[in-house]
Amino acid sequence: MSTDVMIQASGLSKRFGAARALDKVSFEVRRGEVVGFLGPNGAGKSTTMRILTCFISPTAGLAKVNGYDVFDDPLQVRNALGYLPQRAPLYTDMTVYDYLKFVAQIRGLDESKFKGRLKKVVEVCGLAQSLGKDIGTLSHGYRQRVGLGQALIHDPPILILDEPTSDLDPNEKAELLKYIKEMGKDRTILLSTHNLAEVEEACGRAIIVSKGRVVADGALDDIRGKTGRVRYVVTIDEKRAEAGNKPPTASAVEEAFRRLPGVRSVKTLASDEKAFKVELVGAQDSDLRAEIFRAVVAQGWTLLELRRDAQSLDAVFRDLTRGDEKLDRGADWKDEAEPDDEDESEDDEDDSEDDEDDEDDEDDEDASKGAPERKA
Amino acid sequence: MSAMLTIAKREFRSYFDSPLAYVVICLSFFALGLMYFMLNGGFWQADRSSIERLFEYAPMGLSFLVVPVVTMRLIAEERRSGTLEMLITLPVKDSDVVLGKYLGALGLVMVLVVATLVYPIGMFKVPWNLGPLDTGPVLSGYIGLILFSAAAVSIGLLVSSFAESQAVAFFITFFVLAALWFFDNAAQSLSASGGGFASFLAAVLQYVSFQTRLGGFWRGLIDSRDVIFFLSVTVLALFVAFRALERRKWA
Repeated sequence: MSTDVMIQASGLSKRFGAARALDKVSFEVRRGEVVGFLGPNGAGKSTTMRILTCFISPTAGLAKVNGYDVFDDPLQVRNALGYLPQRAPLYTDMTVYDYLKFVAQIRGLDESKFKGRLKKVVEVCGLAQSLGKDIGTLSHGYRQRVGLGQALIHDPPILILDEPTSDLDPNEKAELLKYIKEMGKDRTILLSTHNLAEVEEACGRAIIVSKGRVVADGALDDIRGKTGRVRYVVTIDEKRAEAGNKPPTASAVEEAFRRLPGVRSVKTLASDEKAFKVELVGAQDSDLRAEIFRAVVAQGWTLLELRRDAQSLDAVFRDLTRGDEKLDRGADWKDEAEPDDEDESEDDEDDSEDDEDDEDDEDDEDASKGAPERKA
Repeated sequence: MSAMLTIAKREFRSYFDSPLAYVVICLSFFALGLMYFMLNGGFWQADRSSIERLFEYAPMGLSFLVVPVVTMRLIAEERRSGTLEMLITLPVKDSDVVLGKYLGALGLVMVLVVATLVYPIGMFKVPWNLGPLDTGPVLSGYIGLILFSAAAVSIGLLVSSFAESQAVAFFITFFVLAALWFFDNAAQSLSASGGGFASFLAAVLQYVSFQTRLGGFWRGLIDSRDVIFFLSVTVLALFVAFRALERRKWA
């Protein structure tokens, strides 16, 4: 990976009237990176992308794409970009071929270059069967492909894709992610989504935004480690026990694990076997597998499964962005802070509580205070 | 420049991809024919080899039907469906988008205007020759009609760039163009009623009325003031539409 910065956002803020959509968003994307841009709905993903594609202007801050300022050189920026907006809005009265040709003409591709690129795009996006069809008659999945096709028609060094996998069926999704990964070898791709599995599959790095702020930015493993927890899944047979021991009960299992030093929380998971499946959460870098095994043996239970994994990106995402949802539902976020986050993540939690309060005040006070951005 | 022409071409073609263009063309020609031959005794009553009636009625058809329908979707519909974002994030200037769409819509209206040539040619050259036609007023009439179309389409585009939906755009354009047309009639009844303020108001209305401005062209008179008036309206409306499109950046 070279060090060329292809997309640079520094201190981007955007207000829509009194509502703050973006609040000092800063990040960089380098050549050859495929970056997942994550966040709940309304977190500011599309707003950021619209600023980067010069569709709207930021209220404050600076953005550069391919070295060009989005404000001063919008045409150069757009030349270097392939952009697929959310839900792929296309002219439904045109055929796929006409549409791609229209885009190519506006982008100044000559006839022979267009023919060459069209072949490639048709192959990559799987459009051979639909070139002559009206876009209006295509399914959402195919429209998305056409949208991707128009973004690729001029072979841009940078791709910005706003939720490219929404509306796709699982097969199409998998295929599209495969292409994105492939294209990402020699391109810079910024891809927004709220589906974390996609990010894990296609992206090397993720930026998580929440309420218009960057709350995490880094390699996936770093982000996973961010909330500082490790998850264990333990499955114990419901019926069988060593001779002389009673078969376990759900509460006995939970109780036994809760007593273990280093275990922060215990939760019973649904299980379709005749077994108890519990999830334990321990501190980051800890390894409680030996203790868990010994505890099971000591009780005379039968251990069916014991698995340790770094926390899933899903859980991290929920942790980092959960303030949004609770505020939306009218709950007082502070009262509901979970009690099991008390050790090293406490500082983090306090920060975000401050953030929420500032948000309510709706003034520029926090700007001067420099509300901490949790960046990796 | 080429981006602008590409947009204009797409816009023009898209009219013919939907039944709208055909319906509008047929309806407006039917209406024009009715008015030309039937209204107020019709062409035959005038007993003159002149097509002044054509230039009198054609702008009304354009104002009340064609221009509102043709321009209503230009920007409003693209904004609603999101295709505007797709279009603007291509490497085009906002001015190219506005001018391209303007030329596309004006192109369709020009097709209609050119098609009315069937009246002077069909009635006074081949296949019929109903008398010697004075070509001067015909020429100036067409120049007036073209200038009027340019201004009316730019007003429609302007309204479309502000409107939330194409239905709203249609009605606003309809009312604005109707008002600009009937200001002349209003001015006449105002000046008849007399009074200092009334006559001042009448003068103002007369000044901006499209009907008054076109009157000279019908009689074969090309007044530079009228030409400049229509051109100014066009440029002003296009400029404001351009600003309205830019507004998205800051809203």
